Amino acid sequence: MRFKKITALLLGTAMIASMLAGCGGNAADTGAPAADAGATEAAPAADAGDAGDDGAAASGDVKEFTMFITMPGSEINDDNEIAQMIADKWGVKVKETWLTGQTASEATGTLIAGGEYPDFIDSDEMNLLVDADALIPLDDYIDQYPEFRDLWFTPEEWDKFRQPDGHIYWINPFGNTLGETKQTTHNDEAFWIQVRVLEWAGYPKIETMDQYFDLLESYIAENPTMDDGTENMAYTILCEDWRYFCLENAGQFLAGYPNDGSVIVDKTDMTIKDYNTSEDTIAYFKKLNEEYNKGFVDPESFTQTYDEYIAKLSTGRVLGMVDQWWDFAYTVNDSFKQSGLDQKGCNYVPLGLTTKEGMENRWHTYDDTVNQASGIAITTDCEDPDAAFKFLVDCAMDQELHDLRFWGVEGVDYNVDDEGLFYRTDEQRQNWADTSYQAAHRCQYSYFPQWHGTSRDGKNANKPEEQPSEFMNDMAAPLKNCFDAYGVTTYPQMIGSVVETNGPWFPMYSYSNNFTTETPGGVAWAKMGEVKHEWLPKVVMAKDFDKGWADYMEAYNACKPEDFLAEMQEILDGFK
Amino acid sequence: MARVKNENTKKVKVTWKEMKKQSFLMIVSFFIVVYGIIFYYWPLTGWLMAFENYKPKKGIFGSKFVGLDKFKFLFEDAVFIKVIRNTFAMGVINLVSTTIMAVLFAIILNEVRKTWLKKPIQTISYLPHFLSWIVVTGILHDSLSATGIVNDLLLKFGIIKQAINFFAFPKYFWPIVAFAQCWKETGWNAIIYLAAITAIDPALYEAASIDGADRLQKIRYITLPGIKPTFLILLLMNVGNVLNAGFEVQYLLGNGLVQSVSQTIDIYVLKWGISQNDYSLGTAAGLFKSAVSILLIVIANAIAKRYSEQRLF
Repeated sequence: MRFKKITALLLGTAMIASMLAGCGGNAADTGAPAADAGATEAAPAADAGDAGDDGAAASGDVKEFTMFITMPGSEINDDNEIAQMIADKWGVKVKETWLTGQTASEATGTLIAGGEYPDFIDSDEMNLLVDADALIPLDDYIDQYPEFRDLWFTPEEWDKFRQPDGHIYWINPFGNTLGETKQTTHNDEAFWIQVRVLEWAGYPKIETMDQYFDLLESYIAENPTMDDGTENMAYTILCEDWRYFCLENAGQFLAGYPNDGSVIVDKTDMTIKDYNTSEDTIAYFKKLNEEYNKGFVDPESFTQTYDEYIAKLSTGRVLGMVDQWWDFAYTVNDSFKQSGLDQKGCNYVPLGLTTKEGMENRWHTYDDTVNQASGIAITTDCEDPDAAFKFLVDCAMDQELHDLRFWGVEGVDYNVDDEGLFYRTDEQRQNWADTSYQAAHRCQYSYFPQWHGTSRDGKNANKPEEQPSEFMNDMAAPLKNCFDAYGVTTYPQMIGSVVETNGPWFPMYSYSNNFTTETPGGVAWAKMGEVKHEWLPKVVMAKDFDKGWADYMEAYNACKPEDFLAEMQEILDGFK
Repeated sequence: MARVKNENTKKVKVTWKEMKKQSFLMIVSFFIVVYGIIFYYWPLTGWLMAFENYKPKKGIFGSKFVGLDKFKFLFEDAVFIKVIRNTFAMGVINLVSTTIMAVLFAIILNEVRKTWLKKPIQTISYLPHFLSWIVVTGILHDSLSATGIVNDLLLKFGIIKQAINFFAFPKYFWPIVAFAQCWKETGWNAIIYLAAITAIDPALYEAASIDGADRLQKIRYITLPGIKPTFLILLLMNVGNVLNAGFEVQYLLGNGLVQSVSQTIDIYVLKWGISQNDYSLGTAAGLFKSAVSILLIVIANAIAKRYSEQRLF
């Protein structure tokens, strides 16, 4: 600029002034009259702030909000039937958009850089949004609904959501149980195995990783292909972006610890331990390395994308993997049901493996996990936070709305028997699992508050998959046989974790997820992630494991993991 | 006539009268200047971020000034050094391979005498230019996968015994990127060379024929020297672009295993600037890239000035 002539400078300033004025004028224009609201349905997340308002004005009482969720998901149709029913009754319609092609943090960073936000947001990087003043404090709103406040979280739990400035900016919508627990699924991580493998082996007891892979190997030896000629694959690993937990953190579970995610908490002396370097983790990677070199691990493991991985699982050819239930089960089980593979024993059951036999395992989390690192928030661009927050509360407090979201429409998606129990016919179940039906009819608002456990009618489960009768009827024969053979009725029983309550610090990952590069520990955490992304696959693929591991350790130690661990210890010390 | 000559040779005095006379030109250029300031110079104030600990809340003028701290962090980061290397390497490989391919293709296509054959080939060859990288990388991903066509062929001809997972080995990454670039851009880049070839005086070819030159000799002594100026100018312009080695390809084809060779400066900027929310660090890396690019183009221009009559400025 300095080299420009003074005239140019003057011109520039004048012009900039006019430009700024222009922008301001524009914003005011779109804010006020909302004459051209017709186009708002298609409005992308970026100019969401205005869109919600416009829509509401145009269609009478219905407020239209936008929401962005930093997870991949399927958009529902604009004329979705249940969404319309909700809009008619509760006066709110939410247009959800999902992550596509970016990582969660990139998407969040882009929103912040652009400075325009949707009305609701659920991001993995909430602290960044708070830093940018993008979220409105919810404290006052929460206090306006004391019933909701007292039911949803305990005061201690609410306090966990308080940011350093004392405000609450987001509410985690998941992991809350109403009434009697009806837990039927293992909504956590596990070594999964297809029931056909267990059936073939006569339902043996599998406790260690060695036994697990022995079983997969011998199954492959005798059944190289599926009935239709597709080649069976023993084991695959998802490794894309943040989902590399499928490779990365099994070590903590194999050592018998619960899912603190980024570190191990040793309760005996309240210390933080690094599972990356623990013996159990070394043993785990050594085993993976051995299996990889024997050819039992999918060679595309480390280069496949999430979509490719899900497509692979959906063919039914993969016998086993490590994953979180929510990461694969909904999509894959639906597609098994559509293709009939569930009748051939392709469904996955979890195994609670440990390094040695007879150890306790903690793969399953019994109590509600409150991940205070993320949740649903209302942004400063939301024109009507009162209505937005009211809908959020309605989602949690109105049983009718909850049933509509998760069970569907009575008589269409489920029936009620004489005793008031909900049940579904096979056709209704098929429909519910069908993707085009989901887009046209089903509207779960799946990142709004929701309950597990028992409905307020005292009989039914809040979610169909937790309804015992529904859960049993929905199971394909091979899966049911497997459960019977092991004498269990639910997935958590199948994995057989120790029943215990986790400490108030649990899960530690909810703290490390919010680390920023402001602190040395945050920088170390970011660098450790980079190194592990590159080296863990290399270690698995190494011809010589010991050398590969030594090289990895060299790169790992260069990231100064001690800085990270020290900061985690500080947080843990707060709970002493 | 005289007036026109006058304007061209003598400097015109800036007077109100003169300005009125040129009012149309003034108005038109005014918009261009305004455009330039808005879109080229005003955004540069963002460079300030590189020297402060930028926080979106406080804005560019409210954030804490930290001097060269961010640059210090950059150059102490072993990853960034690797990133510079990757960017340079891929930039140079891409530049060389796409240029050679384009020249070769243009010459070969020019030797095709039958128009009904030549036109369709040319059209088909530049169509890939219009595909987005997401499509191209999708095709690459499929064809290079374990069950893709490349592995199928290699297996069938017995060249390899086991399918190769091309994206798992750092050594294959740069060639794959270069190949993708060539596949996509050869036809498009060849257009300008073809145009240059058409501009060569046919009399030269006739004369050469009379002197008994064969096809290869004509290419060697007439076509190649004929397109040399075009070649040099394009090369010059592209040298400044070497650090723009790409973002989409590497971003879309990369994975954890090959990240040590796949990350370019642009990806680094995205990773730290946007994902880790360290806008300052991202800006510093971007600023470094721009500075090097400017330096490169000045050097290239100086060299061109010295050794030939071609230059940019």
